[in-house]
Amino acid sequence: MRKKYFYTHIVDTSTLSLEIGDMDLTPKERLHLISLIDSNIHHEILDLVLSELNSEDKKIFLTHLASEDHDKVWKFLNEKVENIEEKIKKTAEDLKRELYKDIKETKVRS
Amino acid sequence: MTQSHYKFLRDRWRARHQDLQRKLWSKHRESLEWLSNNYRQLVAGSFGGLMLLTGQISNPFPSLPIANAQSTVPKMDKKVFLISDLALILPKDVRPLEIEEEEKISDILSRTYGIIITAELEGKRLDRSYGLIGAEQHLARFPGDNLSSHFDSDEDRKLYWQQGMAPGLGAWIYFAPSKEALTELGKDRERYYIAAQIFLSKDFNSRFAEYRDFYKYRKMLVVNPNNGRAVVADIADAGPRESTGKHLGGSPEVMHYLERVDGSLKGSVLYFFIDDPDGKIKLGPISP
Repeated sequence: MRKKYFYTHIVDTSTLSLEIGDMDLTPKERLHLISLIDSNIHHEILDLVLSELNSEDKKIFLTHLASEDHDKVWKFLNEKVENIEEKIKKTAEDLKRELYKDIKETKVRS
Repeated sequence: MTQSHYKFLRDRWRARHQDLQRKLWSKHRESLEWLSNNYRQLVAGSFGGLMLLTGQISNPFPSLPIANAQSTVPKMDKKVFLISDLALILPKDVRPLEIEEEEKISDILSRTYGIIITAELEGKRLDRSYGLIGAEQHLARFPGDNLSSHFDSDEDRKLYWQQGMAPGLGAWIYFAPSKEALTELGKDRERYYIAAQIFLSKDFNSRFAEYRDFYKYRKMLVVNPNNGRAVVADIADAGPRESTGKHLGGSPEVMHYLERVDGSLKGSVLYFFIDDPDGKIKLGPISP
């Protein structure tokens, strides 16, 4: 089962999963690639959010995140960062486009 | 064809992941270090909290370890990565792990410590690899060994005297036939011993001699997933009884290092075999 992140409801990675699903891979290889997608997106979004916060707010955000209280995370982020939801969506979309290109490239190479 | 697709994407996305980790630590080091110093308080209510440091990257191929970016961040951070990686996989309740969960954890531990860690070795496995650990007492290492002769230093005596000597002997009787014959390895085997429920292994009774020989001083990595502390331990006793509700026993030294206690505050540990056919891996605390 894939981990539910605080942004899972606004970041859809199913298109990438489907592309990988079409490839000739073993189940383990497929799962590994999907976990790499999740991890890459996760780091990009963390970097984005932390870059928008001051030092003290970063700690508050990390505390909410550590407690896995997604409602608190969103309440806090909406108070502190303008259009944070859109920014997260855009960051994820940009990265997804890059990852999608990688998938296309490997398909062309075969 | 499968391998080429997979390798291409794996290598490219791993490299990207490493860059992202470096960037994250480089830009937000102060906050992340603050987190690493406070993680125990932060995860008190939610074990999975530290997943924020890194997403899950399960590596299905131990022989092809994920080149990780941790090497570029301070050593203290590696333990946090371990905690966060384990938190992604471990269930909230302490139950036997599914095979798939064990495989993911083997991968994480193997790449973290650079040694081969596995739940099953030579076709043998304990009945579980994740359970509650209880406190054991010191074992007599040779005939006549007692609390007066047991400790090499005053510091050890102060730290570990009160746990006392077990009334019986370990599963393999003594660690040496006499005080003079006791080697440093023998001392370490007692110092870092665990009692495992080897009698619950499948086929243990029907293949007793084979299993007995396999388990004798078998090295295991015991990890406290809450603080990332790990010990290379050896099986030197059988236990605890099932009726205790505990699944593993740790020597006073093991329990102290792992920061685990017995009783109502007893906690969970992971315990996996170490593949060390040449006996090169030293018993005792181990760091990522």
